[in-house]
Amino acid sequence: MSDVVFQTKGLCKRFPGVMALDDVAMDLKKGSIHALLGENGAGKSTLIKIVTGIHKPDGGTLFLDGAPLVLHGPRDAIAKGIGVVHQERNLIPRFSISENMFLEKLDSHPLKRIDYQELHRQARHWLEMLGLDADPAIPVEKLSVARMQLVEIAKALALKSHVLLLDEPTASLTPHETDNLFAVLNRLRDDGVSMIFVSHKLEEVQEICDRVTVLRDGKNACESQPMEGLGRQDIVKLMIGRSEQIPNWQARDRTGNPPVLELKNITTAIGHRAVDLSVHKGEIVGLYGLVGAGRTELAKSILGKYLVTAGEVLVDQHIAAISNVADAVGRYKIGYVSEDRKTEGLVLMHSVLENVGMTVWQRLAKGVAFLTNRAIRTQTLPFINKLEVKAPSLDQLVGNLSGGNQQKVSVAKWLAAGVKILIVDEPSVGIDIKTKTYLHELIRELSDEGTAILLITSDMPEMITLADRIVVMNDYRVMGELANCREYSAMSQGIMNLIHEAVEVDMSPVQATP
Amino acid sequence: MNNTTKAADRTADAFGPDVQETSSQHPAMRLLLTNEFGLIALILVFAVLFTLLNPGFVSKFSLFAMGRTAAVNIMIGFSMMVVIITGGLNLSVGSIGVCAAMAAGWLMQSLGLPWYLSLVGGLGVGGALGALNGIVIVRSGLHSFIITLASMSIFFGVMIFLTHAGSFREIAPEVVAPGRMKFFGVISPLLLITFVVAGLLSVLFRFTATGRQMLAVGASPQAAELSGIRVQRMTVWCHALSGVLAGVAGLMLVSRTGAAIPSMAGQLGQDWLLPAFLGPVLGGTLLTGGRASVLGTLLGAFLVTMLTTGLLLLQIAAFWVQTYLGLLLLVAVLMDLLRRSYLARKKLV
Ligand SMILES: Nc1ncnc2c1ncn2[C@@H]1O[C@H](COP(=O)(O)OP(=O)(O)OP(=O)(O)O)[C@@H](O)[C@H]1O
Ligand SMILES: [Mg+2]
Repeated sequence: MSDVVFQTKGLCKRFPGVMALDDVAMDLKKGSIHALLGENGAGKSTLIKIVTGIHKPDGGTLFLDGAPLVLHGPRDAIAKGIGVVHQERNLIPRFSISENMFLEKLDSHPLKRIDYQELHRQARHWLEMLGLDADPAIPVEKLSVARMQLVEIAKALALKSHVLLLDEPTASLTPHETDNLFAVLNRLRDDGVSMIFVSHKLEEVQEICDRVTVLRDGKNACESQPMEGLGRQDIVKLMIGRSEQIPNWQARDRTGNPPVLELKNITTAIGHRAVDLSVHKGEIVGLYGLVGAGRTELAKSILGKYLVTAGEVLVDQHIAAISNVADAVGRYKIGYVSEDRKTEGLVLMHSVLENVGMTVWQRLAKGVAFLTNRAIRTQTLPFINKLEVKAPSLDQLVGNLSGGNQQKVSVAKWLAAGVKILIVDEPSVGIDIKTKTYLHELIRELSDEGTAILLITSDMPEMITLADRIVVMNDYRVMGELANCREYSAMSQGIMNLIHEAVEVDMSPVQATP
Repeated sequence: MNNTTKAADRTADAFGPDVQETSSQHPAMRLLLTNEFGLIALILVFAVLFTLLNPGFVSKFSLFAMGRTAAVNIMIGFSMMVVIITGGLNLSVGSIGVCAAMAAGWLMQSLGLPWYLSLVGGLGVGGALGALNGIVIVRSGLHSFIITLASMSIFFGVMIFLTHAGSFREIAPEVVAPGRMKFFGVISPLLLITFVVAGLLSVLFRFTATGRQMLAVGASPQAAELSGIRVQRMTVWCHALSGVLAGVAGLMLVSRTGAAIPSMAGQLGQDWLLPAFLGPVLGGTLLTGGRASVLGTLLGAFLVTMLTTGLLLLQIAAFWVQTYLGLLLLVAVLMDLLRRSYLARKKLV
């Protein structure tokens, strides 16, 4: 009994229109990694926000080392040794990495000059531990989403707390960075740190967690069970009440269709060199690469956000002069689902309906004099429903939805847009396994209807489920491509080979695509 | 184009066609939460108070004069509101309003154009000056505060130079008439014009793609851009619209006074600044952009007008009135805060 470090009993939390937590119990043992699982909107983040003093519970008690714990705010939790990585980014964009990491400590001596050398040195220590090679002095806004996530984790580690709460820390990481993180977490566990780990990637959960609590609609579906003896399907059943359905699609070859989007020997202002790429009508082309390979940047270059300095972009086999995103969307019918839903994908202060409607307003308003909510709903509702967006009403502000549900809105808005070319960047970040299947079906249907899709994802199983062809990028170049045979081990091996070859022959000229 | 097909058929209807209206909260409580409700309550309270203190407050003439002043103040509030929704502000509303009025006066008196063409010309000048603000703001990337502070002086200065600080007093009777007319002895036609404009603005923000895009741009320029919205163009449109609305307000003043006078909005048009901010802020328009309340601005500006009228009727010196208006701004903002936190604690937000 004495090895229980942290415990919750009868925890309740109500938001308008939802009971986010209803009589939730769990306990956390010393030197343990405890999985907290559940569908989108099940209440995981709410639980974590209560434990870190952000939300006040409406009922129930927290215990730390056996004594009841009352928190008066986030600083209180830090002082008690509870560290956290929140699901949503909480970094200050203009501040440097090290300033962000030690924000809590900076003000401990108001008059003391900040020793930046020392700060950077400490920051570098934690960054290296996670395998992040970045200068601690650069502002966080210059980093990709995945790197920001690593900084966020480093920040929590640097607090050296003995209870560490990780809310989907791996959501935007590739398996490579995840492995680094897990090595660190395992070491912490051996040092006696207790951790709560939230993730929708069950293979990760099974790899690293020793106990599990599952929430369903704010209630315990299971409480602090040992992981041993629980198979993937058992966990899935606890989460969604039935077993998982993985679409088993046949390999397709759509390269016979006319190309819709072609990049010919593209050079961009932000560093892409000699990039060739084509996506055909009705084809799903996957773009794989490690963090920092320049995939998102390539997408944004296609959209006209970054300058294409040499080479040609062709849409429907005609040279396209795309000078801004509005051109790309309006004239060339190219859509982009951003990997960064919070700042680029969604207007958090607007309602669900306003967000999904953003891409269809123009089209609906054409010809018809007035744009009515009814028309927008007719257009977008099928996607909102299919993705099971969980919200009290369509008028709910998107900022009040759970992370996964926000992501669904961010994707749904483009599925409804009726574009010819859709670039999807990490579409299933934070989406639960049930909805992920629906999302994959929607994307597949879209391609069957002729939409050309460029899929950027770090989620290898997702890539292999969806893509017809996989193009591998590294360091802002295309390293090669593979036809997807839908054989997981063969494909991941092939992809990794391409990446590693790239790393070895780093400075040599670009490899010809087979 | 039509990709809402197969996926649709298999979905359970999580949101039926008319979920939108139903909400999990008590509708009554929702109403209490709105800014508009707070304003209506305040208006009623003060109306009773002033009437008790001085029954002349509800005399026909007093009501007429109040409505006429409110018409102008509301219009000034709208002019600021449409820029605030972009997350910016427009300090040159007064300056533009006067320029528009002077332009119309000049067209009428010096060029002898028919009155309606002159009015259109005046509004055109207002819109053009606003658009100019917008263009400089998006091109330079500077905050609208700086640009409109500068343009406030520039527009006004050039106007004084061109007009030699003289007034235009030969205003067509068709223009002057609405400023004097009364419907049923109390309602000024100017107020009706304002209501029409309010209606048009509501339609803009609710039922047109342009209006919704303006709000999206104000709330999150990055997300708006990646959704294919022309962020810069929308910003310029908002400023142009602000200029037109300022022009309407200026022309209303011409109609009321029967002349276009360079000093009709004070030095550099600064007299308009307090009403310009009071209306939208009291009405719940978010200063950070992205949300607008046409009705709120209307009520807010009306409240301000009523307080001014009431206090002046009580023979309170004008500088005290200014002080009270400043206090009102603070009190209203605090009350709003209290109301929200009370309701939040009761789990109603
Ligand atoms: N600030 C808020 N206002 C209103 N409702 C909220 C708020 N925060 C959370 N909710 C609601 O509480 C419920 C639980 O949300 P929570 O964020 O805990 O889910 P989650 O399990 O973390 O889901 P996800 O996997 O999507 O991150 C959801 O229905 C959500 O809409
Ligand atoms: Mg969450």
